[in-house]
Amino acid sequence: MSTTPSPVPSTREAVIIGGNRIPFSRAGKKYVRTSNQDMFTAALEGLVARFGLQGERLGEVAGGAVLKHSKNFNLIRESVLGSSLAPTTPAYDVQQACATGLEAAIAVTNKIKLGQIESAIAGGTDTVSDAPIVVSDRLRAALLDANHAKTTGAKIKALLQVRPKDLAPATPGTGEPRTHLSMGEHQAVTTAKWGISREAQDEIAYNSHQNLARAWESGFFDDLVTPFKGLTRDDNMRPDTSLEKLAKLKPVFGTKLGETATMTAGNSTPLTDGASAVLFSSREWAEERDLPILAKFVDAETAAVDFVHGHEGLLMAPAAAVPRLLARNGLTLEDIDFFEIHEAFASTVLTTLAAWEDEEYCRTELGLDGAFGKIDRSKLNVNGSSLAAGHPFAATGGRIIATAAKLVAAKAAETGRPARALISVCAAGGLGAVAVVESV
Amino acid sequence: MTAPKTELTVPGAPASFDVTELAQLPKLGGLFAMGLAGSAGKRPKGAVRLPEVAYQVADVDTTGEAEHLAAYQRLLGEPSSEVLPAGFLHVLAFPLATAVMVRGDFPLPLLGMVHLKNTARVLRPVRLGEALTVRAWAQGARAHRRGVQVDLIAEVLVGRELAYQGVSTYLAKGFTAPDGAAPDGDAPREEWTAPLPTARWKLGSGTGRAYGAVSGDQNPIHTSSLGAKAFGFPRAIAHGMYTAARALAEVGPVRRGDTYEWTVEFFKPVLLPGTVDVAIRYAAEAVSTGTQGFVYEGWRSGKDSRHFRGTVTPL
Repeated sequence: MSTTPSPVPSTREAVIIGGNRIPFSRAGKKYVRTSNQDMFTAALEGLVARFGLQGERLGEVAGGAVLKHSKNFNLIRESVLGSSLAPTTPAYDVQQACATGLEAAIAVTNKIKLGQIESAIAGGTDTVSDAPIVVSDRLRAALLDANHAKTTGAKIKALLQVRPKDLAPATPGTGEPRTHLSMGEHQAVTTAKWGISREAQDEIAYNSHQNLARAWESGFFDDLVTPFKGLTRDDNMRPDTSLEKLAKLKPVFGTKLGETATMTAGNSTPLTDGASAVLFSSREWAEERDLPILAKFVDAETAAVDFVHGHEGLLMAPAAAVPRLLARNGLTLEDIDFFEIHEAFASTVLTTLAAWEDEEYCRTELGLDGAFGKIDRSKLNVNGSSLAAGHPFAATGGRIIATAAKLVAAKAAETGRPARALISVCAAGGLGAVAVVESV
Repeated sequence: MTAPKTELTVPGAPASFDVTELAQLPKLGGLFAMGLAGSAGKRPKGAVRLPEVAYQVADVDTTGEAEHLAAYQRLLGEPSSEVLPAGFLHVLAFPLATAVMVRGDFPLPLLGMVHLKNTARVLRPVRLGEALTVRAWAQGARAHRRGVQVDLIAEVLVGRELAYQGVSTYLAKGFTAPDGAAPDGDAPREEWTAPLPTARWKLGSGTGRAYGAVSGDQNPIHTSSLGAKAFGFPRAIAHGMYTAARALAEVGPVRRGDTYEWTVEFFKPVLLPGTVDVAIRYAAEAVSTGTQGFVYEGWRSGKDSRHFRGTVTPL
């Protein structure tokens, strides 16, 4: 099933100059009535201001939103037009569920590596507070019929199909289209299969809040975040939470599985609003403008798993993507200084790590000779991740890339040796995107 | 898990049967009215004796079925295609099987019979627009621990080629099997624990009416809670074949292939509205390595109360 990866063709480097995001906010709080375009434009504008890109024509801007209204067909281009970038900067929308931001970064850095563009911004935005509401299928069918009807009589007849209950709107959910299980329920099944304990999950959540709070206190995010709508820090962060408090929360997912439910609101990410953007370029482009270079965007890999019939867990694709990515780049887990594993749920991190430590799984599912390996937990999400910061789906990739780039730059400066970060993001649809970022 | 045993091996009704040609497929509405009227008179008295008769309709034109097929595909989640899914062929042949059951000399009452299991085989894809021969008969009356069970056989032919065989096994409670018929030997229900689900179906109160509209099976136990109460159910119950057809659709045309066997065995009815947890798994993983196709099970969400189980196996 696995083929020997062909050597990575040599191209020029794509470097990370810096990132910017707005503070992430729990749904229904600070960013109510704030659109995806508002938020992404704010994140973009902050990045432009930080690096003096006013009036600059960039190679392109790519990004997207997972929950997107059909009127936002050119969301990113519209955001560019509302920013102080040159209006001649092209843009396009990307959507790969929670991997949207990282996938956008993969796309633009590949163009930079190939010499098609010199500079680019990748990012994403999502709002649950301002999510599009959809009319029911029956109402939609009736409205379309009426629209297509030629005569007034036919229009009226079409509209008479509508029944009162058809007027109820359909709100967006996180249910998988093929299984109708929510993402949390899917992960609860995976958690049960791997026997991940409640305590282990709460510990991941606790560390996430502690690490993020420490990073904020130490000023780590000062040049990564621009205040927005009166919010200066991520408002989901709970520096005062404790393992005892987390242990008291009632399980919310997997309560009907016949196994002890372990996933709570504390060890699952909340619905969040926010936006992020990251500036990439060729080395030459950055040097010409005297812009700092934090890191190289080395390589990336995407994967997908067969989850529909329960063969694999919905959020387990990164477990397959990472070994392929590292093998192609001649790296092992030992070569990684920072593991940035997106905390969709605390248990997603834990099932991924458990899979890599499982010899049988690695042999049969990943085609490896034995267990992929165990990571040093002190290198995991050292400045917090989605459990504490929140997870505005498409904005998470940009948040992580900027954090990872800054971490490796600081580490390399401190030790005088190259430092590497591994980024891993799971996504709906059984998808996953992973990348390696390395100091320059 | 073992698949329900398929009784049918040789196509066509037994040689002793009298084949009656009908000009067209009967309408279910009228048959249900007859069934309703006739059911009252069909009470257990002596051993059950099935009429040795088969109904057959030739040249059934499916050209006009496009809209019906689209409605079926939309409801069950079958992808849009001109190939008729096995569940649709079951629906197509159902009126003819029902016509057998409402005959005066058919000894069991149409209403109140319990659908125990169903086995269907697609032996050749049937496409929209093909002219079909449809035939149906009843056979195999035999003992069940709660009465007598009988197989309703439906076949669909394209030209002279057998394309589909369906065996629907029904239970008539309190009736006595014909002399000499061996008891079915139903073992007591095995202990069963729900597996981890792969899907969750939230079925609204209109589920029975919606499937009734595409299948023509407007049996009141499915379409209204009052109708269901009359037969001793607290609320309306989902058509068993709706749940089985959804599982079939979920496996989908690519994985089941052009020719396949589709089985289902029913346990506790699905009360509407209700949430059914479903596990649709590779047979190789759920049953044993090397087993082809898919196995599926459905149960009441959060309970070890099983609604159905079945298989979809490429042939």
